[in-house]
Amino acid sequence: MTEATESIKQSQTSAVGWYEFATRHRASLAAAAILIFPLIMPFTALAVNILIYGLYALGFNLVFGYLGLLSFGHAALFGTGAYLCGIAVVHFDWPWYAAIAAGVFGGLLIALLIGVLAIRTRGIYFAMVTMALSQCIYYVFYQAVDWTGGENGLRGINVRTIDLFGLQIDFINPLVRYYAIAAFVIAALFVMSRILASPFGAAIEAVRENEMRARASGYDVTLTRLLTFVLSGGFCGLAGALQALHLSIVPIEMLHYETSGLVVMIALLGGMGTFFGPMIGAAVYLVLENLVSVWTVHWQLIVGAIFIACVLFFPAGIWGTLIGRGRR
Amino acid sequence: MTKTVTKAGLLSRRRLLTTASAGAVLAASPFRINLLQAEEAPIKIGFPVPLTGPYGAEAQDQVRAGQLAVAQFNDAGGLNGRKAELVVRDDKLNPGEAATRTLELVEKEKVNFVVGSLSAAVQLAINNVTKERGIIFNSISQSDAINEAADFSKYTFHEALNPHMTSGAVGRYAFPKFGKKIAFLTADYAYGHEMVRGFLEVGKEFNIENLGDIRHPLGTTDFSTLLPRLQALKPDILCISNFGRDQQIVLKQATDFGVKKSIQIIAPLLSHASRVAAGAQAFEGVVGGCSFYWGIEDKFASTKAFNDAFRKMYDGKLPTDYGALGYGGVRTVLEAVKSAGTVDTEKVIAALEALKYDYYKGPQYYRKCDHQSVQSVLVIKSKSKDMKNESDVFEVLSTEEPSEKNLRTCEALGHKS
Repeated sequence: MTEATESIKQSQTSAVGWYEFATRHRASLAAAAILIFPLIMPFTALAVNILIYGLYALGFNLVFGYLGLLSFGHAALFGTGAYLCGIAVVHFDWPWYAAIAAGVFGGLLIALLIGVLAIRTRGIYFAMVTMALSQCIYYVFYQAVDWTGGENGLRGINVRTIDLFGLQIDFINPLVRYYAIAAFVIAALFVMSRILASPFGAAIEAVRENEMRARASGYDVTLTRLLTFVLSGGFCGLAGALQALHLSIVPIEMLHYETSGLVVMIALLGGMGTFFGPMIGAAVYLVLENLVSVWTVHWQLIVGAIFIACVLFFPAGIWGTLIGRGRR
Repeated sequence: MTKTVTKAGLLSRRRLLTTASAGAVLAASPFRINLLQAEEAPIKIGFPVPLTGPYGAEAQDQVRAGQLAVAQFNDAGGLNGRKAELVVRDDKLNPGEAATRTLELVEKEKVNFVVGSLSAAVQLAINNVTKERGIIFNSISQSDAINEAADFSKYTFHEALNPHMTSGAVGRYAFPKFGKKIAFLTADYAYGHEMVRGFLEVGKEFNIENLGDIRHPLGTTDFSTLLPRLQALKPDILCISNFGRDQQIVLKQATDFGVKKSIQIIAPLLSHASRVAAGAQAFEGVVGGCSFYWGIEDKFASTKAFNDAFRKMYDGKLPTDYGALGYGGVRTVLEAVKSAGTVDTEKVIAALEALKYDYYKGPQYYRKCDHQSVQSVLVIKSKSKDMKNESDVFEVLSTEEPSEKNLRTCEALGHKS
């Protein structure tokens, strides 16, 4: 009897130990998963899309899961990142690293703009204001045909080789492209992990849990919110820039509100407020969509049914439910 | 009890091992390698089209016609016995998805050629991906931009009409006949804009008066606020430049509003699938253009042959306009492969450029500078009586013969001569 209790206790502590280890090294474990990821995917371009949408959802999750604000305008951050990166390459002939920097800067800038205007609102109003502002951004890019190609989209973001300290990397080769983009995504994962583990990360969650108490403890709630939103813009802008380089085009659809809705779905599917959930959500959603749509034209029906099942059986998202079980 | 279980487990494991090793031996055996060598890898043609979304009906027709072209190629012996294969993908009418799918087709499926698309933005996205990788892409959807030097590459071919040709033909037919005061209702995206630009350009020859252009977003379901505004302009001609479901809805509502009583409605393109879906009443009296109509079979032997083959393969169904483009797009590439005797890209490009063909609608050829297929444009009118069969929905009013005069010049497109 006592022996049994002992062993249960022991297994519990070891489970908790594992959990703590995994939490501490979450970014490294995520990086390892990303490195072997293309081997199990149906095709590499899809794996790259999953990385990019995962990063986009990761940035979104910072606001949605950790700060507790539902933004319905994240497409503006993602799309602006893509467009600025694309415009830098097409119209200014900037090298790839400068173009990516332009994309990140675009995400940060638009996030600051939307953030300043929207951050004082709460709940559904925040969702509506961000959505309205992102629609404004959509029309700005839609109308600036000379710069963005308008309806036809921006074409010609053709980066054939990446020059890395004299080393010529063939960006057309699918696997090379995957690992080049993965390098940025992994770097972003480490930065995200660092932000969340920092005192500022704790402040973000404090604001989410109890705004009044956070304010009483001396945190500037508005500034914390704004800063989080802007940081989120940086991640989404990076995702957009990588998408522009990956597909060599920027379609106007990237700025559409459906892209904002998609990221909410991905975050919910994977698990909001979990570190790796957005990546899992992006992988599950995009793989499902791609596999089922090859098989039948009624793919939406099947993906919809699976989505409903996920919501019913994994209320905290796929990853959220799994780690919830692991913790127990 | 436990013993039997273990035994069964052992047995099955042993069997598994035996089967696996037998499989491995077979896989490694010279016999299998010989088999593989006998059958060369098929010629793969990637075919991204929007199977889901508002143009689904048209896209499925394109696939049917594309399959027919492949079947004919294979029945005729292929390329010295090497068969062709169509690899169909759903691009969901989204350029990002189309680019991803094209990457899949090129990188994973290792397709030799890409044919397809049914939207201006989508074909430009596909084109950007294929031209970077040196893969021939034959677009079967309307666009003016794809002819222009910025998007063009030697790998880019355009089998479909472009808005400039289509609106030009319809304008040249309609403006002298119906009047000079024109009002426009336009879908607010590239297709609509390019059509209106074409109409205005050809209108200069006829001194038309532009009363105004009302834009509507893609996917509009209610035009009841726009139609009275257009009626109030009192035009001779109302020119409606939209496509698919938008076109069906606006024509239905225009009929209900009595627009047709005093105003002639013209459209750059009348889609066969839309006409069948919306019915005779909605399209009654509307004049528009199209690239193909099965009814020209009494004029061209090639049309007759294409119709018959299509009927035979699909239980008496007749091909539609966009379907025929799928056939034309795939067949030209495969014929070029045959005449080049290889799938080598450079040689196939040369063969395509040299092609003078008549596969389904009379004579055509690819112009050298922009690889635009120079072809006839039909001006048609919807029919509501004396129909021979359920596909007998249009009458051909006039045919604009293929001529480079009706295309924008190579210099205007930015090509160096």
